Amino acid sequence: MTSSVFSLVAGRLTATAVTLLIVSLAVFVATSLLPGDTATILLGQAATPDAVEGLRKAMHLDEPAALRYVFWIAGLFHGDLGTSYANNMPVAQLIGARLVNSMKLAGVTTLFSVPLALVLGITAAIFRGTLYDRVVTFLTIGLISVPEFVVATTAVLIFSVYLHWLPALAFANEIHSVVQLLRVFAMPVITLTFVVAAQMIRMTRAAMIEMLGTHYVEMALLKGASRSRIVLRHALPNALGPIVNAMALSLSYLLGGVIIVETIFNYPGIAKLMVDGVATRDLPLVQSCAMIFCIGFLILTTLADIVAILANPRLR
Amino acid sequence: MSHEPPVNWTAADDRRVEDAIRRGATRRDLLRMLMAGGVSLAVGGSVLTRAGRAMADTPVSGGALKVAGITGSNADTLDPAKAANSTDYTRICAFYNRLTFLAKGGTLQMELADSIDTTDAKVWTVKLKKGVTFHDGKPLTSADVVFSLNRHLDPNVGSKVAKIAKQMTEVKAIDPLTVQITLAGANADLPTILAMHQFMIVADGTTDFSKGNGTGAFTVETFQPGVRSVGLKNKNYFKSTGPHVDSFEFFAISDETARVNALLSGDIQMASAIDPRSVKLVNSQPGFQVSTTSAGGYTNLNIRLDTDPGTRAGFIEGMKYLVNREQIQKAVLRGMADIGNDQPISPANPFYNAGLKAKTFDPDRAKSLFKKAGVLGTSIPIIASDAADNSVDMAVVLQQAGADIGMTFDVQRVPSDGYWDKYWLVAPISFGNINPRPTPDLLFSLLYASDAPWNESKYKDPKFDKMLIEARGLLDQAKRKEIYGEMQVMVSENAGTIIPAYMTNIDALSGKLHGLEPNPLGGMMGYAFAEYVWLTA
Amino acid sequence: MTTLTQTPAPRRRRFAFNLTGRIGLAIVLACALVAILAPLLAPYPIGKIVDTDYYGPMSGKLWLGSDYLGRDMLSRIILGTRYTVGIALGAVVIACAGGVVLGMAAAVIGGWVDLVLSRFFDALNSIPSKLFGLMMVAAVGSSIPVLILTLAVIYLPGAYRFARALAVNVNTMDFITVARIRGEGPLYLVLSEILPNIRGPVLADLGLRFVFIVLLLSGLSFLGLGVQPPNADWGALVRENLGGLPYGAPAVIFPSIAIASLTISVNLLIDNLPRKIRDRS
Repeated sequence: MTSSVFSLVAGRLTATAVTLLIVSLAVFVATSLLPGDTATILLGQAATPDAVEGLRKAMHLDEPAALRYVFWIAGLFHGDLGTSYANNMPVAQLIGARLVNSMKLAGVTTLFSVPLALVLGITAAIFRGTLYDRVVTFLTIGLISVPEFVVATTAVLIFSVYLHWLPALAFANEIHSVVQLLRVFAMPVITLTFVVAAQMIRMTRAAMIEMLGTHYVEMALLKGASRSRIVLRHALPNALGPIVNAMALSLSYLLGGVIIVETIFNYPGIAKLMVDGVATRDLPLVQSCAMIFCIGFLILTTLADIVAILANPRLR
Repeated sequence: MSHEPPVNWTAADDRRVEDAIRRGATRRDLLRMLMAGGVSLAVGGSVLTRAGRAMADTPVSGGALKVAGITGSNADTLDPAKAANSTDYTRICAFYNRLTFLAKGGTLQMELADSIDTTDAKVWTVKLKKGVTFHDGKPLTSADVVFSLNRHLDPNVGSKVAKIAKQMTEVKAIDPLTVQITLAGANADLPTILAMHQFMIVADGTTDFSKGNGTGAFTVETFQPGVRSVGLKNKNYFKSTGPHVDSFEFFAISDETARVNALLSGDIQMASAIDPRSVKLVNSQPGFQVSTTSAGGYTNLNIRLDTDPGTRAGFIEGMKYLVNREQIQKAVLRGMADIGNDQPISPANPFYNAGLKAKTFDPDRAKSLFKKAGVLGTSIPIIASDAADNSVDMAVVLQQAGADIGMTFDVQRVPSDGYWDKYWLVAPISFGNINPRPTPDLLFSLLYASDAPWNESKYKDPKFDKMLIEARGLLDQAKRKEIYGEMQVMVSENAGTIIPAYMTNIDALSGKLHGLEPNPLGGMMGYAFAEYVWLTA
Repeated sequence: MTTLTQTPAPRRRRFAFNLTGRIGLAIVLACALVAILAPLLAPYPIGKIVDTDYYGPMSGKLWLGSDYLGRDMLSRIILGTRYTVGIALGAVVIACAGGVVLGMAAAVIGGWVDLVLSRFFDALNSIPSKLFGLMMVAAVGSSIPVLILTLAVIYLPGAYRFARALAVNVNTMDFITVARIRGEGPLYLVLSEILPNIRGPVLADLGLRFVFIVLLLSGLSFLGLGVQPPNADWGALVRENLGGLPYGAPAVIFPSIAIASLTISVNLLIDNLPRKIRDRS
């Protein structure tokens, strides 16, 4: 058992390097395809040819893009994420605090949404076809089908503007106690839970139903095992592979995809930083963010695969 | 709050009343005016109380000011030369000072300069105020001014006003408090030009601008690009009038609804640049109000004169008749605009030619002109983008008017990202978005001179160029107004730039914030509000 | 709706829908009908400003009120149906078909095919959709097929990963081993043994992906990819009228309701497909 997990992790580590390289190449190509460079974007409407040329020279953007990319990769091996084109600050410094903010938000949302999704998904599968199942389905689909910005804005209108219970903005720097943490995170976490929990609930339900219909669960039922025992000891372990994969996919959204929540609650996270980086063609910044998202995603999927192997003895 | 306005009272009406008060109308005059319009005495009284509130208060010290702007990114800068948008302007106004300052009504005031004099509008002598110090304790001298002005000419700096600064052929220190500026040609507007945000004075030799070491009303406590900035009251500020608040925090909330909600929930005291449609909401909430500024910024439709279909005789004229200015002003901008007449000088500017009337909406006339141009029945692409405010909506209004006369406009909404690079000044028909600028000379030189860097329609007229240079050097304001008036007619008739409306900037603020006044350089007192406003409990 | 018409025509009993399924099917078919007949049904031209007010209330003249410019919301929703239903359906079918086929192939073939495909899609999944969307506009330009393709590519890696996880689980079952020993090729294994056994969860995944695509669609339209003014898909209608939310304007509520009823119906329909289609035989 441990050996298969070990070989998986070892294999993944090698593959990770390759995946990261593919991502950075893809990001490089994508960014090069976009019109303009940092100099023209920063100058905006004031971008006369000589102004652009001067600024390019000052920012060392006159060297070929491919060469700059290779230098950036080389720097990466020394743990140097490079310097932002747009403001000349070290990328590591720009990302630092904002990555921590993003991780905090993602962590709290995970703690909140995963247990919720498991409970709702499994119970909906057990009581499949009942009113309870329908209500859960109706609500989960109903909630994700409302665009995120509507959920967030409605929450702010109700809880901040009319009731004055919670702050409309999530000031990350004003968290000094658990109560403040809850007040600041309440609305962003609820909004994100709406988004990520639905997928987990639906996939848990579907995978569980699939497992509850298999022969050996039916066998166990015939042998007279109790319902909860069947669910927890027989069906769940076998359904866990797809479920954790669905969870990995959902949770990976929490790092790079939370741009709307970051914008509406003015929460300084890494998703908005990357979008800004794309807008200013700040390649070192965009590359570094993409690497972080990719690593986060790979960690989640690798964890999912490990859980799947551990849960299903046949995969070992 | 007992000062509820009548149901159909709009912010534009508030603005009218406030303007009347500024012009010196007494309460009695105004009440008579309102009652003549059918407004009851009680309601009229409450309206006047609302309007007069901001004007009659005395400043109080203290409090933490929090304000949200509209845009912020990793490119946020405290380098005045690179300042690109309202967020940068707001910050540099808090941390630095200019030689001159444009106050309300467009009157020029001295800020770091004690006086600016010239005899020929070509050689200017600037005397600096005594006893001004930078945040790091260094006293302000002529060397700082020389450095600050000359750096715009260095292409490595990437200055936004390099083109304007180019006319300063020599900037030299005469003595520690006197600077002499020599221009390439006479320009009577130099003192006004020096009031532009990019001409803030920085300390001699500065390379790292993230410290924000200026002479301004606040010192930099925190500056994180794309996140926020915090300034603390400058105890050694050279002006005795301010600042009133202890600290000033500024950050951007790009989502308009979220910005308004942050204000209404009490998290911030001012939300800048709100949508006209939010005015009703803000006014309906007790303890909140809007402040409007007509500075003259606009979104315009540009048809290049050097390429098809702009080269076809009658096409551009037809377009000018097909643009439904009234509908744009009413439906798109919800009345928060003045109708435009296809030239860049707005009614807010003293040089505005009031005799030049905007073309009326006349689809039949447009149709016959299009027929003459041979475009009727064809499909003409129009590039719009969210990068140019309201341009997509304006394009749709035009598209609809076209559909009614058998003209197809293929409106292409393109990404904001890269818009100024890829489409503006490039596509045959596209939208532009011009920020307010204080003098006709700046607008004409940037946008309509034959060698203008942003000649949006490729308009070229040697006579226009000659008049531009002539008016620039004139110290006789009446004569200038006459020339600029004629130039407005030329641009309006012959250029391919259609300017349907001059937009009003709307800021929403808490009733606890006082002292905000309109300013010709843009919303929020030309972005310099932080040192002038005060908070009450 | 292609997935539905491809399935065998409902015959009595074995293919009968239950009540919930019927409701879902009815709403989905209604949307399809509105999409087809849209130009005949809309009372006003889609770009015409017909109301002097903005975020106008429901009235006899404007049944669903007016939008931020004073255009008729009912007409805008009706004409938006085509874009929402058509584009989302096209994209979800491409994404799920591609993802499921490749996912199953990776699970059955294993080895380096699995490795390459999995790492490639992991990499693809790490590229932010906004950057990808902008790149597509810059590289290929803007059109509806490009929009559909972009949406499909964005959601393909997720469909792949989920299908692969399901297939890997099934792949370990005894009957697969038996089939392998029998000497069956990968194609047979995928089509006859694996697909029937992962159908339920895959369909559920498709339903969910449909919701995500409907929502992302408006985001990409705002980047300038695809649906062009005066047309707008439902998500874009919600977005452009968001300022009406504090006023409780019908302009923001009705497109939201339209999205919710379509997506809920699609998912209810999938959950309540006749047993014959949905479950293992």
